[in-house]
Amino acid sequence: MGDSVASVTSSANVAGPARTIEVDFALVGHQESWRTAADVIARLRGPEHAPLPDDEIPDILPWIPPRPVCHVDVGSPIGAKARGLYIDSFIPPDRLEAVYTHDNLARVRAAAACAIKAGAKIVSLGGFSSILIEGNLDLLKMDLLKTEQLPEKHATVFTTGNTLTVAFIVQAIRKMCALQGRNIRKSTLLIVGATGDVGSGCARCLAPVVKRVLLSARNLERLRKLAAELEASGVQVEIAKDLQRFSAEADLVICAASLPSPSLLLGRVAPHALICDAGYPKNLSPSAEMPGATVFFGGLGQITGGLQFAPDFRGVLNRHPFPDVVHGCLLEGMALALERRFEPFSRGRGSITPDRVEEIETVAARHGIHLAPLYNADGPVEDAPHCRTECSRA
Amino acid sequence: MEPTIGLNGSPSIECTSLSPSAPIWQDVLAQAITGELIAAMNYASLSEICDDPEEVADALEHAAGERGHAARFAAEGRRIGIDVPNNVGAKHWKQLRLAFLRCIQDRDFIGCLIVQEIMLESFAVASYKRVGRVAPGSLGQTFASIAAEEEGHVDHAMAILRTERSLDPRRFDDKVHRLHLDVMTTLAKMLAKECKDGHCEVCHGSCVKPSLPDVSLSAAELRGASLQQYLKTLDALGLPGEVTLAWVTQLPV
Repeated sequence: MGDSVASVTSSANVAGPARTIEVDFALVGHQESWRTAADVIARLRGPEHAPLPDDEIPDILPWIPPRPVCHVDVGSPIGAKARGLYIDSFIPPDRLEAVYTHDNLARVRAAAACAIKAGAKIVSLGGFSSILIEGNLDLLKMDLLKTEQLPEKHATVFTTGNTLTVAFIVQAIRKMCALQGRNIRKSTLLIVGATGDVGSGCARCLAPVVKRVLLSARNLERLRKLAAELEASGVQVEIAKDLQRFSAEADLVICAASLPSPSLLLGRVAPHALICDAGYPKNLSPSAEMPGATVFFGGLGQITGGLQFAPDFRGVLNRHPFPDVVHGCLLEGMALALERRFEPFSRGRGSITPDRVEEIETVAARHGIHLAPLYNADGPVEDAPHCRTECSRA
Repeated sequence: MEPTIGLNGSPSIECTSLSPSAPIWQDVLAQAITGELIAAMNYASLSEICDDPEEVADALEHAAGERGHAARFAAEGRRIGIDVPNNVGAKHWKQLRLAFLRCIQDRDFIGCLIVQEIMLESFAVASYKRVGRVAPGSLGQTFASIAAEEEGHVDHAMAILRTERSLDPRRFDDKVHRLHLDVMTTLAKMLAKECKDGHCEVCHGSCVKPSLPDVSLSAAELRGASLQQYLKTLDALGLPGEVTLAWVTQLPV
């Protein structure tokens, strides 16, 4: 922060006439762990103030009203530029369960209101935030969405960003198959969280190119509906709420929902399976229980045309082992802003199609936004010995 | 230590035969009464720099209102069998009063409003609301009712401050930041989970904070609610959220 607070004044939260910076996009997110939350607060405190003790963070963060944290500038190799804001809803990392849904929706709604006040033309809703426009039926039954609608009369559009997330998951699966010399057409694909927006989008993109698809989710009715849709295209589909009920082992796995433990996959996953952790937060790690499996994080893209934060939150808001890596859901809003296409590209639940995935992939690629190098909790996976061997063989 | 200001109460009494929570309420009320008396003194001082007779009358009316709040809190103490002391000379409260008096010295009417209405009242409104939810019977009702009255003050001041900010946002925000560093640093020390600078000189015995969970309160909750109210008030004034976020996270804990 400079001496003058007005030197960083944006239009965010400004009730008066002082709109000094045009905002193309806003990214709404939240921290996935207390560690990342502590790092954000430490960066806000600056080097002249000691970091807060760890036990203070859970006592402070939940009280912070949703608000902008920093400005985000993004560029593309073809010269396009877009300016945005990162807005944190400050949902406490340990309060993502259903019991906190009402409070969390109120936070996301307030964060969305910040984006609207800032004049953002497009808003990407990352992580839990996407629930606001995914149209979750259970929430409608709970009468929550009725009371937590977005502010009316504004020119801001919202996207969940899920289409680009699906694109990067699909690209990552194909890339890992190529790196390991796997024939994807002979693979059995398991999707955990298959009826969600991301899971069903992955199913539509990958089902036609694998041998068999296993779909798992909590809602059997939705599973049947998705299975029927895929079977109509001639795909061999099996559905189950319980992973252990599948008749076959999967050698490709997409976890589109966070798994409490990798051990849940045991018995239904081939010894040398490729496992894409596409949940949020990502919590699968290479496990001693599945020593032959390759776990990698999915849904991440990399910006090659320049990414800057003001104040500098590099490595804090995007904590990845490679530079300028960002979640696909947030990148979708940036790509659309660079393209000057301010439209609600991903909205609702279960409507992501291969055509739409290809469309957003093309937009992103035009602006230098590509699949991020693959890695997991232990580090990069593309340089792992089995990948190098298979690559050289290929 | 300045002498206690009388509020028509009986001399201090020990709470040995009262309910176990009475000593806790005694200290909570002591902080509230001291805060109200400081507010009354601040408004009285403000009246001395107002040029417009209507503003003078408003300030004096506010001062009387704050003294009335202090008296109501004192009466609630007596109702539960305790006499509540106050100490406007206690170290933190004294610092807050001096910060206000610096604005008076500069004849800075807007600065006075920022200190009293934005900073001190955010603390009062948020704390009173929390106490109002858990305090028993009329004690809780009084806290809730005074919180609502204090919010009324803030609304009045907000209109003046919004107009002032619209004239020169940069200058206004710089002024708020300067006063924030002075006033909110002191308030943050008062609101810290533990009093690290020694006794606050308001609690009648040892620090009340560790006992607050016995009445379903906590120092962390009071701090959180106060800082949240402060941030929301600054938002409503139009200050950039990312800027005020940094200010608040830089406060001492």
